[in-house]
Amino acid sequence: MQITVNTSACVGAGQCVMTAEDLFDQDDDGIVMLLDDSPDSSHEAGARRAASLCPARAIKVTD
Amino acid sequence: MSIHVSGETASHDVTNPHSNAVSPEVAAAAAAAGCPFHAASVLPTDGTPTHPSPRFAEWRETGPALPLDYNDGHRGLVVTQYDLARAVLEDPRFSMRPDRMPLSDTAPLHESPPEAAPEPELDDNAREALDTASVLFLDGDQHLRLRRSITGRFSAKSMRDRRAIVKQIVARQVEHVLAHGAPIDLFTEYARPIAAANHCDVLGIPAELADEFRAKFEGVATTRDRMDYVRRVVDARATDLGENTISDLLRSDLSRNEVDGLVMTLMSSGRDSVAYMISTSMVALLTNPEQLAKLRDDPSLIQGAVEEFMRYGTMFLTVFRRTATEDVTILGVDIPNGTSVSVSTVSANRDDRHWEDPATFDVTRDAFGHVGFGHGAHGCVGQQLARVEISEAITQLLAAIPDVRLEEAEQLSPLPFAHPVATYEAGAVVVAWG
Ligand code: HEM
Ligand code: SF4
Repeated sequence: MQITVNTSACVGAGQCVMTAEDLFDQDDDGIVMLLDDSPDSSHEAGARRAASLCPARAIKVTD
Repeated sequence: MSIHVSGETASHDVTNPHSNAVSPEVAAAAAAAGCPFHAASVLPTDGTPTHPSPRFAEWRETGPALPLDYNDGHRGLVVTQYDLARAVLEDPRFSMRPDRMPLSDTAPLHESPPEAAPEPELDDNAREALDTASVLFLDGDQHLRLRRSITGRFSAKSMRDRRAIVKQIVARQVEHVLAHGAPIDLFTEYARPIAAANHCDVLGIPAELADEFRAKFEGVATTRDRMDYVRRVVDARATDLGENTISDLLRSDLSRNEVDGLVMTLMSSGRDSVAYMISTSMVALLTNPEQLAKLRDDPSLIQGAVEEFMRYGTMFLTVFRRTATEDVTILGVDIPNGTSVSVSTVSANRDDRHWEDPATFDVTRDAFGHVGFGHGAHGCVGQQLARVEISEAITQLLAAIPDVRLEEAEQLSPLPFAHPVATYEAGAVVVAWG
């Protein structure tokens, strides 16, 4: 599984951090930071949930 | 399904062979026959925060978006269903600009407002501050640039440090409640002071100006009065920068007018909403004793419970109006260029297409994904702070007063909506114990 984030689309509301704190954080300006771009499959549900909740569609999960 | 806004959009249908909008004649006939789908709608006033009007359920059955009449006489749409609500809120083809208000459904949009009569008592800088920095009424890059100047202070990451401050503010207010004794109105004696103190702290309003903040923004005051106050606060903060939002803005490359405008927006946003949510969450818990018992037995449920408070007690009947900037087809719904669209977050959060048994208050359900804070680029900036405030306020109150009970809540009967968008009011929430 691969995760990518689009930092120029991110609106910084932190939904991803709430959903999957082990994969995402926010920098000092509130912009998304990817903590792990290729986590093992135990993180898949969290990653997909974060992607679907992200208000800016800034998170992509690919196989 | 296609949404027909008014007879004048017939020309639109001709140019769009894929549209299956109902002809104006059919719509008029149906309206005359009282068909709810074609009849124009106004927001129903017979609901309460925990029991919204049954009309929303009828509307959702009728369609994902229905005609809505605005108070200046023009007609747009109200979005009723969850999926369409999220889709509209995250779609950049809808503008927030108030000047994109259509004169009629087919009239061209004004790119800039027909010179609105300037509020005579506001000076040029104040007007520029309001025009350039009201984030909720800006689009695209202009919006994102200003929004990003404040997101750092409100991020999930910042809340890890801020929680300790929120805890202290709430603890102080719990002491006040205990010292006051029963009966007590939680809205004025607990929820509002917590919301105001947190607002002052995160924004960085100096202590000596804090009382005035409540007087100016909870009470009645003119825009000029508020702007004068904003400037005094920013001036005072400029001599004593710290770990707060106003200092962040002063350290950034924003102009002073932009700083003043953003501070004005932040002072006006969210404080009443937090107070409303704390009060309404208590009403939901105290009127659902089995849910209250679950939370009391296992306080770790609070994080998920806050999401359920937000879903079940949603404050905004509709969020701020959007305007379509082109002909949009979204989830099969045709929305012509220039149409005003109001998303009903109350209705979306009760949509049984998305939520199982939505009328049931269940602190253990997975309520993430609700639209109680809005959604998309304008989704609430303060939502992580609001979550911490609500969770601390409920947790500490239940721990301090295990036998708290509801005496009387004004919000159990319909109250007038609050301005300028339709929101529910918290009203007095009187509790007792012992
Ligand atoms: C429970 C409490 C709160 C609720 C229910 C709430 C609700 C909302 C909603 C629904 C929106 C979106 C409106 C729309 O899209 O039309 C919004 C936006 C906003 N909220 Fe909140 N809010 C709360 C607390 C706060 C707090 C504590 C602050 C911080 C000071 C805040 C600041 C803002 C700002 C600045 C926006 C505009 C964002 C933008 O346009 O990009 N809110 N809020
Ligand atoms: S959920 Fe999306 S918009 Fe929000 S912080 Fe994460 S990436 Fe950014």
